[in-house]
Amino acid sequence: MKLSLNWLRELCATDLPEGELATKLTFAGFEVEGTEQRTLGPGADVVAARIAASERIAGSDHLSVCQVEDGRGTHQVVCGAQNFQVGDVVPMARPGAVLPGGQRIGRAKLRGVESSGMLCSARELGLSDDHAGLLILPRDTRIGTPIEQALGLPDTIFELNVTPNRPDALSHLGIAREVHALTGAPLRVPRPKLAESGGSMAKLARVDVEDAKRCPRYMARVIEGVRIGPSPLRLQERLRSCGVRPINNVVDATNLALLELGHPLHAFDLDRLAGSRIVVRRARPGEPMATLDGKQRTLSEDDLVIADGEKPVALAGVMGGQTSEVSDGTTRILIESAVFDPGGTRRTSRRHGLHTEASHRFERGADEKMAALALDRCAELVAQLAGGKVAKGVIDRYPSPRPPSRIWVRPSRVSSVLGTDVSAAEVEQRLQSVGLQSVEGDAKRRLWSVPSWRGDLTREIDAVEEVARLRGYDTIPVVVPKAGVGETAAIAPEQRITRAARAALAARGFDEALNYSFVSERELLALRPDVKPVRVANPLTVDQAAMRTTILAGLLQNVGRALKHGAQDVRLYELGRIYLPRRSEAHPAGDLAWPVDEPRRLGLVAAGHRAPRSWAAPHDPVDFFDLKGAVDDVLGALDVPGTYAPAEEPFLHPAASAALTVGGRRAGVLGQIHPRAAQAFDVPATVLLAELDWELLLSQARALRQSRGVPRFPAVARDLAFVVGADAPAARLLAEIRAVDGNGLLEEVTLFDVYRGAQLPAGKKSVAVGLRLRAPDRTLTDTEADALIASVKDRLKASLGAEIRS
Amino acid sequence: MIDELNALLAQAKDELSRAGDEAQVEAARIKYLGKKGSLSAVLRGMGKLAPEERPRVGEAVNSVKAGIEDLLERARQAVAGRALEADLRREKLDVTLPGRPQKLGHRHPVSQAMDDIIEIFARLGFHVADGPEIEWDVYNFEKLCFPADHPARDMQDTFSLDAATLPAPPEGAPEPPTRILRTHTSPVQIRAMLEARKPPVRVITPGKVYRCDSDVTHTPMFHQVECLHVEEGVSMAHLRGTLDAFVKAFFGPHIQTRLRPSYFPFTEPSAEVDISHPLCGGKGCKICKGSGWMEVLGAGMVNPDELAGVGIDPEKYTGYAFGVGIDRLAMLRHGIDDLRLLFDNDVRFLQQL
Repeated sequence: MKLSLNWLRELCATDLPEGELATKLTFAGFEVEGTEQRTLGPGADVVAARIAASERIAGSDHLSVCQVEDGRGTHQVVCGAQNFQVGDVVPMARPGAVLPGGQRIGRAKLRGVESSGMLCSARELGLSDDHAGLLILPRDTRIGTPIEQALGLPDTIFELNVTPNRPDALSHLGIAREVHALTGAPLRVPRPKLAESGGSMAKLARVDVEDAKRCPRYMARVIEGVRIGPSPLRLQERLRSCGVRPINNVVDATNLALLELGHPLHAFDLDRLAGSRIVVRRARPGEPMATLDGKQRTLSEDDLVIADGEKPVALAGVMGGQTSEVSDGTTRILIESAVFDPGGTRRTSRRHGLHTEASHRFERGADEKMAALALDRCAELVAQLAGGKVAKGVIDRYPSPRPPSRIWVRPSRVSSVLGTDVSAAEVEQRLQSVGLQSVEGDAKRRLWSVPSWRGDLTREIDAVEEVARLRGYDTIPVVVPKAGVGETAAIAPEQRITRAARAALAARGFDEALNYSFVSERELLALRPDVKPVRVANPLTVDQAAMRTTILAGLLQNVGRALKHGAQDVRLYELGRIYLPRRSEAHPAGDLAWPVDEPRRLGLVAAGHRAPRSWAAPHDPVDFFDLKGAVDDVLGALDVPGTYAPAEEPFLHPAASAALTVGGRRAGVLGQIHPRAAQAFDVPATVLLAELDWELLLSQARALRQSRGVPRFPAVARDLAFVVGADAPAARLLAEIRAVDGNGLLEEVTLFDVYRGAQLPAGKKSVAVGLRLRAPDRTLTDTEADALIASVKDRLKASLGAEIRS
Repeated sequence: MIDELNALLAQAKDELSRAGDEAQVEAARIKYLGKKGSLSAVLRGMGKLAPEERPRVGEAVNSVKAGIEDLLERARQAVAGRALEADLRREKLDVTLPGRPQKLGHRHPVSQAMDDIIEIFARLGFHVADGPEIEWDVYNFEKLCFPADHPARDMQDTFSLDAATLPAPPEGAPEPPTRILRTHTSPVQIRAMLEARKPPVRVITPGKVYRCDSDVTHTPMFHQVECLHVEEGVSMAHLRGTLDAFVKAFFGPHIQTRLRPSYFPFTEPSAEVDISHPLCGGKGCKICKGSGWMEVLGAGMVNPDELAGVGIDPEKYTGYAFGVGIDRLAMLRHGIDDLRLLFDNDVRFLQQL
């Protein structure tokens, strides 16, 4: 909200400098987010001047030469505007003046005529965009008055952040109340003086409220014989400085009362209200209405409208309608000052996409008592600005006035919540300063009556907050809570395991990515055509419309972008949730149920080369076994054994993909991307992918690895080479070898060479393995080792038809 | 004769000091100690000496012999050392060639920050609690005292979900079963208290949150960590103490905190928390717009209605809570000036941190 300090000081005459005032307000919960200095600037020597004579310059179609009095003398000024008459008072920039736009005014000759100074438009003074002609000032403006003074400038405008619980502070009076409470400067609440010299209200108009729940109070006054015209300069400036466009004196009066007191008002042209009636009712389904912004709207049954005898004339609490708008010919007006239900106003405002000064306040809750004061203040302003006679009496439909809320407050509770001693006297003083009145009670416990504008104060804790806010949060001590014995949290196993895995991935050169949880549905379906993702109903873009069902979509986008940016080698991982539209495994039912399943996945992508380009290493492309090695390292970090088998996965190359099994369950897949998926993400078909089930891995992992001791007896190493069918899987060979060892002597089998080529028959491959044998309790003899190797050879021959080469 | 011996030793010393290789040393050995060498020649003259002189001269001969042998050994070592040095220098490494590179991975700054935060709070006695990101609307708002149809909801623009794509709500799930993307980690407060049944509750809840907003300073997804402590006798002073301890542990002991009154439906009193700007040390700089302070989190005492709503007696127990944007903390720590960099996953960015 924009707050004019000049205006504020009329309502609460604080002499605090603006910097201190800003600090005080900020630390009382009204953050000053910005400050605007409204001034013409130090060099703007612009004064009110009277045009004493004017004459067309011969040969020019628009220039005239004016004789202008500025209090010091008469000056000759050439002017191009047409909208003035001799005798008008206008702003004149004296020679040497610098206008807000930076323009320097000097002496000049135009068409051979001397001109010293310039007569100004509103735009030239930086006051508005109006450039239709000179800014005509009221004729009673004293000649020679600096124009800043005539406008009521300079002024400082605060941009205040008012939290949604404080609608009472959305006005100059509201902030004046706060300043009063904070500084003790006297508060001056406007007391309108009305001469009710017109006809009788009862004969002029009728108001019926059909839905008192949605409209608990409706007040109206009528003013007859108004003359529509512009408001005085000063008031226009005041509206503009608060961000409101001046319209005409009647509409301006409603806005001035709103900005001053915080209560929204609306003026209808009474002659355009059919039957001189106001009916507050629900709209009929589909009922049409044209709002003031020129839009044709179709209303819903939930919309509350102000109707006349025939049709809706305003969306209650949100915006007026075109048919009853105050216009230049209006002479009789009806001013509405009502209270509308917050929830209903908010629904209507959102339904029609209309956020207005009025709806902003009603949806936060209006002050029922303020409706009366605001109505009188508005009527007073209309009478002052537009003339006319205020009708006798007020219509006030107010079937059930809300009783003031009352709260019990214990100073002991204030102290215990704030963690510092606050005396009963201080509590009383603070609460009184914001308008609460003591009803009964003693120093231990007191009942307070809450003023009508503080709808946010309903419980003791609200009063505690009020005391804390007013005394300042910096008065609260800083105390670190003690952790009880056994409460100091241990490092969670999960955190330890995750860290180990991250370290393994970092060592393997994988950078960590963090992608949005929503991606395009098209991309998800390219990877997981079998899962229909949860859709975001109001996504910002279609690329963020579906909750990811695989962690790989984002990673593939990252790889594509990196390669386009010229990256050579990209290795990324992400550890995060996916969102599956099914019952959560871990939290299936009850009040702690998770709405959908959100298991975590570890995703890996790799593209480019195994090692950075260097003179010291071959620059080989990264391949399946690099990725598999990384997965092995993750399993190693978790101390989880896993096995791999060929797999079919829609997004993986059918000849280069594997499934990982851990603890008998499928724990993930890895492989080269399927060319179709590569196309969908616009990445090379050589990209490698893995997606692991992090929940399963965690459940199998050991947070702390266990020592197995160090062997005390030496090992025997033997290498073995043999030729087998080219399609015999390595896992099978290793399994056959391991199956031989009955006595636990075979400590390690390392497959260190695979050869296929010219020196071998077609369909065959040569495999070399290193075996390490060791007995836990003795030094193994050569005879024992030979026997074991012999049985390995026999087994390979028998089960795989292997031909032993060495 | 003794003079003759001494002259011999001096001569050998001089000659061996000039020996350039093994052959010259060997030649010197033969010359002085060989069967036909100089020392043998001197010994042969021993017979002409008086018997009483013989022991003295014999001693001198032995001493000169040992001296020459020592000189020979030293000369041999010197020659071998020089040969080794020369040999070693024959093939020289170009030590200015670049080292063999190995690519190391980098952790995302947000996950680094999250890890640090979890550890800091572990020391303060808080453990990690978890909740879903697709959350019951009731837990995200109503249970946190957001009134229905209230503008407080506008503070958090919500992503809603297409109900047709969601599974049927499970038994016992909250009513109504509307599901949304959580707008803050605060619903985990509700879950943690429901799960604990009875205070004390001391948890932090790091995680992803979502708001329908995207510009230079907002991304539709970001990270928060919520801290909740409910116990008998807990006060706003404890809130300040925990905040202060956390901020100092995270940014450094010189960082100050200050609280400004604010409004959040689920806390009362509520506060915005500023920290003295870690980059300029509170002196004021371009990034903090000269104020020396940065707004980093929202905090307050748990609204008693929220406690009552999960069956905790608000007269007996009090609590405090605060929520921090982890992304902003990570940006502050690493001097990252554009929030969106965090989620672009540009490797040129990731590899800097």
